[in-house]
Amino acid sequence: MNMHAQPQSTPAETALIDAFGERLSHLPGDGEVALKRDQSVEALKRGLPTRRIETWHYTDLRRLLTAVPEFDATLAGKPAAPLIEGSPVLALLNGVAARPVAIEGVDVERISEKLGDGTYAPALGPQGADDAIGALNSAFVADGWLLNIADGTVLDKPIELQNVQAGGQVHARLAAKVGAGVTATIVERQTGSGDALVSCVDNVVVGDGSHVTWVIVQEQPESATHLGQFNAWIGKDAKLTLFFMNAGGRLVRQEIRVAAKGEGSDFQLRGVNLLSGDTHTDVTMVLDHEVPHTGSREIVRNVVTGKAKGVFQGRINVHQYAQKTDAKMACNTLLLSDDGEFSTKPELEIFADDVQCGHGATVTEIDHGHLFYLMARGVSEKSARGLLVKAFLAEVIEELEDEQLVEALEAKLDRWFATHG
Amino acid sequence: MPAVQDTIDRVRKIDVDQYKYGFETTIESEKAPKGLSEEIIRFISAKKNEPDWMLEWRLEAYRRWLTLEEPTWARVEHPKIDFQDVHYYAAPKTQSGPTSLDEVDPELLRTYEKLGIPLKEQEILAGVRKQEEPSELNGELASDNIYQSGRVAVDAVFDSVSVVTTFKAELAKAGVIFCSISEAIREHPDLVRKYLASVVPISDNFYATLNSAVFTDGSFVFVPKGVRCPMELSTYFRINEKGTGQFERTLIIAEEGAYVSYLEGCTAPQRDENQLHAAVVELIALDDAEIKYSTVQNWYPGDADGKGGIYNFVTKRGDCRGDRSKISWTQVETGSAITWKYPSCILRGDDSQGEFYSIAVSNGYQQIDSGTKMIHLGKNTKSRIISKGIAAGFSQNTYRGQVSAHRKATNARNFTNCDSLLIGDQCGAHTVPYMEAKNATAQFEHEATTSKISEDQKFYVMQRGIPEEEAIALIVNGFVKDVIQELPMEFAVEAQKLINISLEGSVG
Repeated sequence: MNMHAQPQSTPAETALIDAFGERLSHLPGDGEVALKRDQSVEALKRGLPTRRIETWHYTDLRRLLTAVPEFDATLAGKPAAPLIEGSPVLALLNGVAARPVAIEGVDVERISEKLGDGTYAPALGPQGADDAIGALNSAFVADGWLLNIADGTVLDKPIELQNVQAGGQVHARLAAKVGAGVTATIVERQTGSGDALVSCVDNVVVGDGSHVTWVIVQEQPESATHLGQFNAWIGKDAKLTLFFMNAGGRLVRQEIRVAAKGEGSDFQLRGVNLLSGDTHTDVTMVLDHEVPHTGSREIVRNVVTGKAKGVFQGRINVHQYAQKTDAKMACNTLLLSDDGEFSTKPELEIFADDVQCGHGATVTEIDHGHLFYLMARGVSEKSARGLLVKAFLAEVIEELEDEQLVEALEAKLDRWFATHG
Repeated sequence: MPAVQDTIDRVRKIDVDQYKYGFETTIESEKAPKGLSEEIIRFISAKKNEPDWMLEWRLEAYRRWLTLEEPTWARVEHPKIDFQDVHYYAAPKTQSGPTSLDEVDPELLRTYEKLGIPLKEQEILAGVRKQEEPSELNGELASDNIYQSGRVAVDAVFDSVSVVTTFKAELAKAGVIFCSISEAIREHPDLVRKYLASVVPISDNFYATLNSAVFTDGSFVFVPKGVRCPMELSTYFRINEKGTGQFERTLIIAEEGAYVSYLEGCTAPQRDENQLHAAVVELIALDDAEIKYSTVQNWYPGDADGKGGIYNFVTKRGDCRGDRSKISWTQVETGSAITWKYPSCILRGDDSQGEFYSIAVSNGYQQIDSGTKMIHLGKNTKSRIISKGIAAGFSQNTYRGQVSAHRKATNARNFTNCDSLLIGDQCGAHTVPYMEAKNATAQFEHEATTSKISEDQKFYVMQRGIPEEEAIALIVNGFVKDVIQELPMEFAVEAQKLINISLEGSVG
C-alpha cells in the first residue's frame, strides 16, 4: 500500500496512547507481557487503519472512531440471564472476571492470572501490520477466561461466556483449548449498558476429532464501539461451527480468522447482521485452507434498515498443498431502506489446482412477487415483509442443530424486529 | 494437430517460447534521448506540431505525475521501473507524416505483413494502398476490394507514431472521423479539447498521468449524430524499438444515436528487457449511442523463465453519458508479462448499459490483474460482467472488479460471473470483487467459481481418441465460449487459436 505520511494524530489516537500511560501500572504482567504490550502500543502509535489499508477498506477506523471513553474502575456490570437456562455462566463484569463456576471436564483459568505469571505472553501482540484490534487488545487486556477442555469431554449444556460492559473501556480475552474428541457448545455474549469501547479477542484451538459450536451474540447498546476478533485453529478431522449475530453497537468490527490446520477438518460459518439506526457494522473473515482435504461453508445474511452501513469481507486462501479443498461462501443482503448501505468483498486466493471453490454475493430488496403472493392472501404489507425477512434470516439460524439454541436465537430475532422492524 | 510424439516433445521443449510475433524490424528510427523531463515533453510536442494548449496540458500532467506514487495494490510483482531509462519517443525515420501509403517505408509494410494481422488487415493495407489517393477512391473501392463485406479500417501505430490510417476518405463520406490522435489535435482541436480527459482526468492515476504527459499517438474516432459507422474500425499497435515505451491514447466519441465497433490488437518483439506500455482509452457515448470495443492483447509475454515481456499498465474507461447509451468491452488477454487493466463503465445516463466480457489466459510467469468497474449513477442502469480466467504454468491470474450503485441509481442491476480455471499446481487464481450498494432498489448478483478441468470431462473427450492437449483446448474453448461469442466473428476465430497457443506446453 502507499504509505503516506500520517497527518497529526486524531483525538481518539491520542486518547488511546495517553490511556496506556495511565493504565500501565494497573495492568497485570511484567517481563515478556510488558514487552508485548509496549510493542502493541508502538503499533497503535503508527496510527489507526484508514481505508488505504486494504483489509479496512470499508471501515476507516481512524475516521469512525471519534471518541475514546476513559477507563472507569468504579463501574460494574451485572451478569445477564443465560441464553439457555441452566448453562454454566462465566462472566466478565466491565472487564473483570467474576467468580468462576466449576464445570466437569473443563479447567477454567483467569486470563489476569496467566498475564500475571507471564504464561500468556505468546498469545499477545498484533498479527501483522493491519491488525489494529489485536494491537489495541494486547496493549490493554486485563482479564478474561481460558477454558481447557479435556480430551473426550462431552458437554451436555453450552458454556456461556459473558462480557458485560457498564461503560469506559473494556479489553478482554476469551480463549479455549479444546482437547481431542470433544463435543462442546460455547455461547459468547457481548452486551452491556454503557457507551463503552470494547475489544475482545478469542483464541480457540480445536483438537483432533472434536466438534465445537461457538455462538457469538453481540447486542451492545447503540452508543458502544465493539471490536471483536475470533481466531481459531482446527485440527485433524475436527469440525468448528461458528455462528454470529450482530444486533447492536454504533461501530462494530468483528474479525474472524480461521486456519484449517488438520486434514479432514471442516469449518462452518453462519451469521446474521441485523443493522439499524445510524450504525456501522463490519464482519471480516480470513480463512486459510492449509492442508489437503478440508472443507468450509460460509453463509452470511444481512438486513439493513435506517441509515445503517454494513460490510462483509470474506477471503478464502487455499494454500498450494491444500489440494481437494472444497470451499463455498455466500453473502446475501436485503436492503430495506433508501439510506442503508451494504458493501461486500468476497475474495478467493487460490494456489492449488485440484479444488472446488466458489462464492456468491447478492444485494437486493424484498422480492415483489413474494410480497404480492402473501398480500393476495390477506396478509398486511407490514406483516408480509416481516415474514419474508424473518424467513430469510431464520433459514441460517435453523442450521444449528441444538433446538434450544435455535429457539433462543429466534427469540432474539423477534425482539429485534419488535423494536426495529 | 496430430498427437505424434515429436509434436508433444517440441511443445514441451519450447514451452511458452513460441511467441510468433517476436521478430524485430530493422528500420532506421528517430528517438528522443532516454529520460523524462519537461524538455522531453516539449520535444514530443514539437515533433507532433502540437498547438500550445496541448503542450501546456502535457506539462500540467507531468507536474502532477511528479507528485504521485506508483500504486502497489495490484497482485503483481516486478522490480521497480526506472522511468528515466525509457525513450519516450521513437519513430521510423523515413516517416514524414502519414499522408499516403505510398510514402510508407516498405520495411514497415513488410512488418505488418509478417505480423499476419488478424482480420487480414495486411491484405487490406496492401489493397488500399493505391486507392488511398482521394481523387480516385470511390469507384475502385467498390470493384476492387475483395473484403467488401468484412471491411475494416485500420490505424497502424508503430512505436510512437501512427504510420497509416486506411479508408479515411470513405469514412469521411459518412461523416465519421477516424485518424491518429496527433492528427486530430491538429485538425479537430475543438473536439479533442471538448472530450480529451473528460472520462479519465489528467491525474486519474499514476500511469494515466504519465500517459497524459508523454502520449505519442493513438486513434481518434468521432461518429456523428445518427450515423452507424459503415465498417469496423481497428488499431494495430506494435512496439519495435529497443528501450522504448509505448504510450498511446485513444479517444472514441459516439454522438446521439451513433454506433461504432472498434478493435484493437497489439504485438511486440521478443526481448530480454521489460518494456513499458501505458495506454489510456476513453469512450464517450451520448444519448442512444453504442460503442463496442474489442481487444486482443498479445504483447510479448516474456520467455519460459519469466525474462522479458511487456509491462502493460492500461487505463480504459467508458462514459455512458447519454440516456439509453451502451458501452461494451470485450477483451482477450493472452500476452504481456504483467497486465494491469480495468476497462470500466460509468453509467451516468438513465437506462444506460455497460458490459464487460473478458478472457484472461496466463502461462509461464505471466501476471494478470484485470477486471472492471461498473459505476451505476443513472436510473435503471444495467451492467453485466462475464470474466473467465485461465491460469497455467507459474502464472498468477487475478480478477479485480467493482460494482457500485450510488444513492440515486434506482433500479440498478448487475450480474457478475467470474470463473477461473487452474491448469497445474504452481499457478494461482484469485478473485477480488467489490460490491457497494447504496440504494435499496439495487439488485446485484455475483458468482465466482474456481476449479480445475474435471477429470471426467477430460476422460470423456480423450476416450474418443482426442489427445490430451487437444482435449484440454477443447474444454477450455467451451469454458470461454460465453465471451468468444461476443467478439466480432473474424476476431473470434483468431482469439480461439491464440488461447490454444498460449496454453501449449501447459500439459505435462
